[in-house]
Amino acid sequence: MNRAATPRVLFCTGGMEKISTEEVRKSIERFWAILSGKTAAKLEDLYSPGAIVFTGKAKRSEAGRLTAVRRSRQLPGASSNSIAEVGAIEIQFAGPDVAIAAYTYSFHTQKTQSDGTKVQISTPFGRATQVFQRNEKGALLIVHEHLSAAAPPEKAAQ
Amino acid sequence: MTRVIASISTDEVCAAVKSFWEFFSRKSKSRFDEMYLPSATVFAADARRMEPARLMLVRREREIFSSGSFLTATLGPIEVQVLGPELAIASYPFQMSITRTLAGGKRVQVEVPSGRSTQIFQRDDKGRLRILHEHMSSAEPVSPKELPAIPAPPRA
Repeated sequence: MNRAATPRVLFCTGGMEKISTEEVRKSIERFWAILSGKTAAKLEDLYSPGAIVFTGKAKRSEAGRLTAVRRSRQLPGASSNSIAEVGAIEIQFAGPDVAIAAYTYSFHTQKTQSDGTKVQISTPFGRATQVFQRNEKGALLIVHEHLSAAAPPEKAAQ
Repeated sequence: MTRVIASISTDEVCAAVKSFWEFFSRKSKSRFDEMYLPSATVFAADARRMEPARLMLVRREREIFSSGSFLTATLGPIEVQVLGPELAIASYPFQMSITRTLAGGKRVQVEVPSGRSTQIFQRDDKGRLRILHEHMSSAEPVSPKELPAIPAPPRA
C-alpha cells in the first residue's frame, strides 16, 4: 500500500473525558437488566445508530437498531424469573473514547411459544464482546456486539 | 499532545482480513502469529472462555499448522467500522473446513458452514494493522466427523 497517498488526519488526545472501567461495567449491567426485564429502560438507547450486532444464533450480522427492536418485542415481563449472570469482565481501552469489553455469561429465561406452551431456555455458556464508544454528547454507546454460545441453548418444557 | 496518524481505510482492513485467512490456510505460522498484538485476546469458536491470543496460537500450531492438517475457508462480505485513526472492526460470515490427523493416524473433519467473525484491528507503532481482539463463533452446532485413516505406506 502506498502510505504517502493515505489521507492523514490530526488526532488530538485530551479534551475528551476518558472512559472508566466502572462506566463500562454499568453499561453492561444496564444491558442485562433490560434483557432480563428488570428495568423499563429502552434497549435501543444503548446502541449507536451505526452499531453492528451478531446475535447468539444469527448467521449474519445486522444493524443494532433492528436487533434492539426485535429483542424489545421479546423481552420478558418484570414478573418473569429471567436471570442473567455475568462473569468477570475484561476491558481493553483502545484510545480515549473506545473500550472493548469481553466476558462470559449465562442467561435463563422463559418464553411462550406460538401454541401457548411455555419453555425454559438456558444459555449456560454465553460469550460476549461489546465495543463501546463515547458519542459527541458524551454517552457511552455500543458500536459493535458479538454474542455467541459455546454450547447450544437448552430448552425444557414447563 | 498532537500526533499525525495515517487514517485506516476500509480497503486496508479488508486486505488485513484476507491476509489473515491466507496465512491461516497456507499454514504460514510466523506471519499468522504476527497478525496478533502481544496483548490480543480471543474467543475461539470452540472455547468456553476468552484467552490470550498467545495461548490460542500455541494450540493452533499443534492442531492446524501440523503436517497432517488442512484448512480451507470462504469469506462472506466484510463489514468494516472505522472507530478512529488507529482502530477498526471487521465483521463477516465465513465457511471453514478443517481436516486434522490425530496421533495414531485417525483423521477428523470439522465443517463450519455458518461461521461468524469479529476482528478488532489496531495500528501498531510500525503502521501495521494487527488484531487486538477476536471473537469467532458458529451459528450452528459443530461436531467433528471421523474420516477413514490413511493406510501406512508398505514396508520395503
